[in-house]
Amino acid sequence: MCIRKQFFNQIRGYAVKRKYPVNPEDAKKLPVFGYGISKASYNRIFVWGCRETGALAVPQKKEEEKFHKISPIKYPKRLFFAENHEVTNVACGFGFSIFSVNPNNDNSRLYGTGINSDSQIGYHAIRENKPLEIIFSPVAIHLPLKEKKTRINKIAAGRAHTLVLTSEGLFTFGNNAYGQCGRMIITDEDYSNSHYVHKISNVDDTIKDVECGQDHSLILTESGQVYSCGWGADGQTGLGHFNSESRFTRVLGDIANENIVKVSGRSDFVLAINDKGEVFGWGNTEYAQLDTPNDLQQVCNATFIEKCKGLGKIVDIAAGGSFCLILNEDGQVFSWGYGLLGAGPKVQYSKKPVLLPEILFGKNEFQTDSKVIKIKAGIGHAAAISNYGNLYMWGRNRSGCLGMGHDKDQPFPFRVSVSGLVKDVSCGFDHSIALCKPFI
Amino acid sequence: MLAANAKEIWNNLRGVICVYKPAGIKCNQIRKSIINAVCSGLDKLEVRPPGEYIQIEGDTTKELNIVKKVNLADDVLVVGPRYQFGDVSCSWSSYLGPNTSGVLLLGINDGTKAAKIIRENRLARTYKVRGILGEATDTYFKDGKVVERSTFRFIKLSHIEKLLTSMQAAHQKKMFELCGVDNQSQAAYELAIRGLIRPASSKIPVLYGIKCVNFQSPQFTIEVQCINEYEMYLKTLIHDIGVQLHSTAYCSEIQCIRHGHFTIDDALLRKHWTLENIYTNMEEMNKKLLLHEDMLRQNSPILQ
Repeated sequence: MCIRKQFFNQIRGYAVKRKYPVNPEDAKKLPVFGYGISKASYNRIFVWGCRETGALAVPQKKEEEKFHKISPIKYPKRLFFAENHEVTNVACGFGFSIFSVNPNNDNSRLYGTGINSDSQIGYHAIRENKPLEIIFSPVAIHLPLKEKKTRINKIAAGRAHTLVLTSEGLFTFGNNAYGQCGRMIITDEDYSNSHYVHKISNVDDTIKDVECGQDHSLILTESGQVYSCGWGADGQTGLGHFNSESRFTRVLGDIANENIVKVSGRSDFVLAINDKGEVFGWGNTEYAQLDTPNDLQQVCNATFIEKCKGLGKIVDIAAGGSFCLILNEDGQVFSWGYGLLGAGPKVQYSKKPVLLPEILFGKNEFQTDSKVIKIKAGIGHAAAISNYGNLYMWGRNRSGCLGMGHDKDQPFPFRVSVSGLVKDVSCGFDHSIALCKPFI
Repeated sequence: MLAANAKEIWNNLRGVICVYKPAGIKCNQIRKSIINAVCSGLDKLEVRPPGEYIQIEGDTTKELNIVKKVNLADDVLVVGPRYQFGDVSCSWSSYLGPNTSGVLLLGINDGTKAAKIIRENRLARTYKVRGILGEATDTYFKDGKVVERSTFRFIKLSHIEKLLTSMQAAHQKKMFELCGVDNQSQAAYELAIRGLIRPASSKIPVLYGIKCVNFQSPQFTIEVQCINEYEMYLKTLIHDIGVQLHSTAYCSEIQCIRHGHFTIDDALLRKHWTLENIYTNMEEMNKKLLLHEDMLRQNSPILQ
């Protein structure tokens, strides 16, 4: 009884004691507040996961500086930076985050925060020749742009390099030890002191999309061709060899004559789909991502994935560290590989695609037309967005990167409490960022 | 038509009835009115006549006469009506607040046990709640003092729908967290793929469905399927919706339109609260209880 009473007292008072009856005329004297609706270009950004890297752009508390103890953020937290800047795209790298914004009065279009050991968020130094290797709040990244009207269309971030696709062209910066920035590898290059932003010029076609793996980069052109460069030790460049590639080179193999509409690869395996909804893959397949003869563990040619046949037209793909996700046009999500695939704690390994029950993505008697429209994968965790703007996540909960409020693993998709309609989500190594629209 | 004998009816008067509770009246007043209606109805019928009084009269030195008489001490005029307020037991299976109208289940006599089981089984209830945008009151209800006014013309139906679907998904997540299963276990997964489940706790309100059924600015009506809710919770729900929509809102009407399988069509209106109607309603409701066994006996945690 006492607890119940306390519960109500904390939240809302029960009854109002009145000395005099309410005079309805009093209401007319009150001022009318106008809260209005949000701007169409405004996005809410929510961040959660590991905070020690600075990738969440959440300032430290005073006591945390003292004890060198920074606790992770286990619930989605609204990013204050996004209230001052109109963020249009987000990308999570390994311990750093990149935001593209509509230019403010200072005319910066790109911001970054987090680990900066290889100038993956640009060169930032307070003293000369002493670059900051970790940054806790978003800083503007300078791009050598010619025009003021240039827009940033896509951004992608890998382990320690960044790709920025603008209307002027594709820019890369950060670590280039394997040629992942698409330029010549210079031995013993000092990346942390690097001011250099490279512009890709050897791709003739218009670039539509960019994607970063761990240490390799992929670009997709308007005509459906895929180019790649970077580390190829597991075949993740798909160029027919296992060497590092320092120039963006066209991926052939089974996709040579296909119109590819999307590529995805977070770690060392790459998935691609064509306009007919067929799935292709290449890279490291030690977790049975591909069915190979004599259990070959590395595939360096783009290969048609036979086991995705008959699952309907595939519209979205996501390749995580050790698992693959595909989404068909009916909103059904399938996963295979190794890890917490999303079909309960017992299913840790599957060669065949496993259907994740639609009921886990919010389809029930009260919401019969709810379906998944977008899937994303991090290294050990995965995310799905439904057409009602709900975000569902599952997998390894490294530093609370699932946003469930705890750091235990989640073996099946579970909704993340985000106050907004989720439009996009980016999963890094141990943090996640969601881009949401407000309700009104 | 009822039997003419009150005793026959009294013996059969055990079960659950479904009445329509008007707003502004407390549940206890309804309970009293129902008991009074039952008592007065029964008293109008053929009640037990006064008992016999055996009188031994005559001179004690001679043979005595034994005379059977009517026992005047047992007369209705002396002891009061045969069926009185305290004789009938009556209790509700879910308490509706004073400002709520709609379906109210009452157990009469032996039916109070069924009412208790229905309460403990926590059947889902459906409410229609109406809110008015633009003003906030200190009681969250229309009877309160207006404390804030705000603009509301920019709110469209699509805004409300977007917000409500998100709220619904958030509550369905809460529902799963409240069932008390460890999320890492296989049991949790098996429960999750079965769909909507009832909460283990009887204290924390859980909403299953929220949708907007009518919107005529500034009025909007939402339909809520819920368990463990109370009147203040629904009022504050409207207030929260108003705040989330960048405006303010207060609640103006709350109507319970469904409780388990009992709908508003089964509910007995106040003008029909007579013994005859109560009796026929009880027969129908008892049939319904037999038809839907899950209301009294539940074997799974899934919402029914």
